[in-house]
Amino acid sequence: MAQELKSINLVAPAFKGINTEDSPLAQDPSFAEIADNAVIDKRGRIAARKGHSVITTDKTELGSGTIRAIKEFDRSVGSNVILSVGNNKIFTGTTTLTDATPGGYTITADNWKIVNFNDKAYLFQASQAPLVYDGSSVVRLDSVAGAAGVVQGNEVLSAFGRLWVTGVSSNPSIVYWSDLLIGHDYSGGTSGSIDISKVWPDGYDEIVALAAHNGLLIIFGKHSIVTYSGAEAPATMALADTVAGVGCVNRDTVQYTGTDVLFLAHTGLKSFGRTVQEKSLPISSLSGNITKDIISALQSENTFFRSVYSPEESFYLLTFVGQNITYCFDVRGTLENGSYRVTRWLSTGFSSYARKENGDLLIGTINGISQYAGYEDNGNTYRFKYYSPSLTFGDASRIKILKKLKPTLVGANNAAVFIKWAYDFKGTYATSEFTVGDQITGYYGESEYTTVEFTGGALTNQRSLNATGYGTSVVVGLEADIKGSQLSLQEINVMALIGKLL
Amino acid sequence: MAVATDDVSTGTVYDTDDIMDMAGGSKSGFFDFLGGLTDFLGNNTSVLPGVLGGLLTGEAYGRLSDVGKEARMGADELAQRQLEMSQFKPFTVTTATGSGFGSMMGADGGLQTTMTLSPEEQALQQQLFGGAGAFFGQATQPTAEREQEIFQRMRTAMSPEEQRQRQEQEQRMAAQGRLGVRTAQFGGTPEQLALAKAQEEARNSAMLGAMQQARQEQMQQAALGQQFLGAGYMPQQQLVAGLQPGLTQQQLEQQSRQFGSGMFGEATMSGLEAMLSSEMARANLLGGVGANLLSGAVTPKPAFGMSDLLGLLGKG
Repeated sequence: MAQELKSINLVAPAFKGINTEDSPLAQDPSFAEIADNAVIDKRGRIAARKGHSVITTDKTELGSGTIRAIKEFDRSVGSNVILSVGNNKIFTGTTTLTDATPGGYTITADNWKIVNFNDKAYLFQASQAPLVYDGSSVVRLDSVAGAAGVVQGNEVLSAFGRLWVTGVSSNPSIVYWSDLLIGHDYSGGTSGSIDISKVWPDGYDEIVALAAHNGLLIIFGKHSIVTYSGAEAPATMALADTVAGVGCVNRDTVQYTGTDVLFLAHTGLKSFGRTVQEKSLPISSLSGNITKDIISALQSENTFFRSVYSPEESFYLLTFVGQNITYCFDVRGTLENGSYRVTRWLSTGFSSYARKENGDLLIGTINGISQYAGYEDNGNTYRFKYYSPSLTFGDASRIKILKKLKPTLVGANNAAVFIKWAYDFKGTYATSEFTVGDQITGYYGESEYTTVEFTGGALTNQRSLNATGYGTSVVVGLEADIKGSQLSLQEINVMALIGKLL
Repeated sequence: MAVATDDVSTGTVYDTDDIMDMAGGSKSGFFDFLGGLTDFLGNNTSVLPGVLGGLLTGEAYGRLSDVGKEARMGADELAQRQLEMSQFKPFTVTTATGSGFGSMMGADGGLQTTMTLSPEEQALQQQLFGGAGAFFGQATQPTAEREQEIFQRMRTAMSPEEQRQRQEQEQRMAAQGRLGVRTAQFGGTPEQLALAKAQEEARNSAMLGAMQQARQEQMQQAALGQQFLGAGYMPQQQLVAGLQPGLTQQQLEQQSRQFGSGMFGEATMSGLEAMLSSEMARANLLGGVGANLLSGAVTPKPAFGMSDLLGLLGKG
């Protein structure tokens, strides 16, 4: 006897991002089990990320290395300069990477942190004499006239009119600050230091990172955080708050979002939420949907962490460089559990980031400096993946027999799309492929009477694919090779026949 | 025997021979004259009155000489008696507290005085002198050691409060998470600098105060030494003061003795003068008779027999 097909419409699938924490069976279909090379687009849909367009044309100095850090040197007079590091060298420029390493200066690592301060750029990394770039050349900081007490720290912060340096291997709990507006004087004027070894709420910790937020100096330890108020006058600044049990994994994971400070803790991505009325700093976990994945990744990371916040793209990227994994957190809002929507980018080769003043997002790769733009990775395709959580259609005890899958895509011009489905948590997926047709938008006045008619903007494409097999739970996936055109997954309408009870 | 006398004004001593010499010649010459006169009389009976006159005159001369000698001897004895009578008499004064003053003639004839304190006063004096010596000794010592001692005592008194202040600040700093602050401007924090400055100023004040105190103590010790020294002489001063009535009494006694001696001398001298006057009168008388006889003998007149002479002598 014929039975009615049951329609499960996955509207805006995965617009809540990845969730690997909850049970697949109990999950909201709005989550995704996998969302690779994806972002949440402006309409709240899961979409393919942008690619990177390599700017560098001459990477001779970089050789086989990769760009490990990028910083736009903002100066009051003249055009800005992009500083980057890689292959144990300091570079200036983007199209041609010009070696600006000081003569006779040997660099043994590329884990530099670069900050702008008072019309100069300062470069710090552990066990390396700090460098300074004044717009013309990079020199050792201790060679600058008037330099005194320069420390070799691993972390530097430009805030409150001073440079704050920490991460000195011999004194891991001391923060040094420079004289006012003088980044090379650490023993004169109003310079000084603070040893917070007696301040750690857990008794002992080591400083990892520094941040300035909401008038506070935030000192991140590995397992705890202390904040100081009144850092405008460091000699009189006072402890404002301490947080035990939460620290920062790496200095390069700290990013400012304007209202928050994001950082990677050992239990995931965290942020300080600014609460003006309570004058407190509640900490929320922003990676609650992928906690285990994050923890696993950070535990396995043995190279670099890199991150960037892009208000233009509304995301915070966190890259585990050694594992070539990037998590993309959509910062436009949080879910019910306080987490950001998150997607994952795999095998991008991204090794550093920098957001320029104009909003451009620069990416460091083995090819030099790229810009986050277009939908190709240096001319190559990359695969967008979406897999739903296990769907039970409201009754996990009955067999589901998929009949049709009807994805609605936006964009994806000429892209080959693979619809996949599998039953009962099995890793074997059935696949149905189709190619999206020409999705070039015909704008009025541009293409009329030529090759296409003008359209309403981004074009949508709906397909109806027959499905096979049966099982009590179903996973539906979509993969597409992105090559030059955006792709957004609007919805997937799953038509299933509900079978007998098992 | 030559009797010695003295010239009070010159201190020269004369004997009889000297007096005879002063009378006009040597002793042998005078008797040679008398011998010659006798011979003359034996040979010339008419010159017997002259011889007698000469003898009488010689007798008068001799008597005058004897009178002078006796007067001189009496004066010598008087002077000796008066010297003995006016001799200083040793005396002693004993005060009510047992100290004493003594005055005596020494073996060399000099006057010796002694003052003796009672044992209690001597003990007190020794104690006071000892104290004065100790105070002067302390006053003359360098003050550096005393300054340090006073400073340490002041620091001992100040340290607990300073310790409390430091602890309170340390607690505040710990609560503010600022224990580890080191600045080029202040060294530590401004509060630490302020407290350190305050404590250092207090320390400096204590040091200056200690110096001042040590100097004051030095002056005080000098003053005490002076007072002790003055007080040490107080028994002696009181002895001298107590001596005054005794001295007055002794002076009165001395005056009385001198007055008695003077009276005795005057009386004795009056006797001697009376004797001298009498003897001089007798000598003058005898000398006058002799002179008349001599005058008659040498004056030309009828023969003068023995009867004449006896008539002259009232014997005929």
